[in-house]
Amino acid sequence: MEDFYAKLADILEVEEVKPNDVLRQFENWDSLTALSILATLDASYGVNLTAMELRKINTAAELAATVENRRK
Amino acid sequence: MTGAANPLDLRGRRFLVTGAASGIGLATALLLSRLGGQLVVIDSNPEGLARALSMFEGNGHVSHCYDLRKLDEIPSLLMEVSASGGPLFGLVHAAGLSCIQPLRLLDPSSYHDVLRVNTEAALALARGFQHKKVADPAGGSIVFLASVMALVGSPGAVAYGMTKGAVTGLVKSLAVELATRGIRVNCVAPGFVKTPMFERVSSLWDAEQRVQVEAAHPLGLGEPEDVANSIVFLLADTGRWITGSVLVVDGGYTAR
Repeated sequence: MEDFYAKLADILEVEEVKPNDVLRQFENWDSLTALSILATLDASYGVNLTAMELRKINTAAELAATVENRRK
Repeated sequence: MTGAANPLDLRGRRFLVTGAASGIGLATALLLSRLGGQLVVIDSNPEGLARALSMFEGNGHVSHCYDLRKLDEIPSLLMEVSASGGPLFGLVHAAGLSCIQPLRLLDPSSYHDVLRVNTEAALALARGFQHKKVADPAGGSIVFLASVMALVGSPGAVAYGMTKGAVTGLVKSLAVELATRGIRVNCVAPGFVKTPMFERVSSLWDAEQRVQVEAAHPLGLGEPEDVANSIVFLLADTGRWITGSVLVVDGGYTAR
């Protein structure tokens, strides 16, 4: 999980993502970005999150916590 | 006029169906068995295969649990199938993988298996099927699964569309090359069909996107049986003057 924030930054095409950053406030947040995040969580961590579930998640830290919980 | 009284009578004919444990493959295999066809079903899911086998009508059907990513061994698998149970009249490659990823995530490793199963396995199956020890000397019929994503576009469908577009290209030259052998080659291009693959893909959409996809099909989303009916039409003598075609079965998705 140590590369979680780096992967997120990659998808969002920014230098860095901090835990308290609100996902929807990134400039290039759109449905394709959401799709990219879901695909990456599945491929990298084996976590299947639905679009509806992602919609309820606010910050990068909340997303990280959800992924951690699902991996257990 | 020539031909049988019922061109959909498949008694005495043997068909190989991949991806037969679920979705379009299962619906196709079931219909073939109801029309009197004898089946060789292939899937990578052993439980699904056993369940499918118990659903078919008639006797003498066989199953092979096989991972179609092993391309090199596909022709010998078909040879073995034919040697043990008789020649094949038809081949349906319904096994497939989905790949819904935006371009920015499409490194080659992300779509390698999808290309292998959707496209390269189709070619390997055709190569195995056309062998004179495999295909029925009376002729044969191959049906591949393309997709509306081979004909129109959608965000995130780049790799999937590539694999299915290649299938439509494959069908044209195979049809011409195999015509002298009496083997017809066609594909169907389904719209969104309610299958386990669709459920996986649609979990990536929010409620709004799901409504949009449904609305894009004037006749609504398809059932696996809707596509199976078209596949069987192409396989049976109903399709005997059809080769090299892409039959669009999409509830009107591409009509707009």
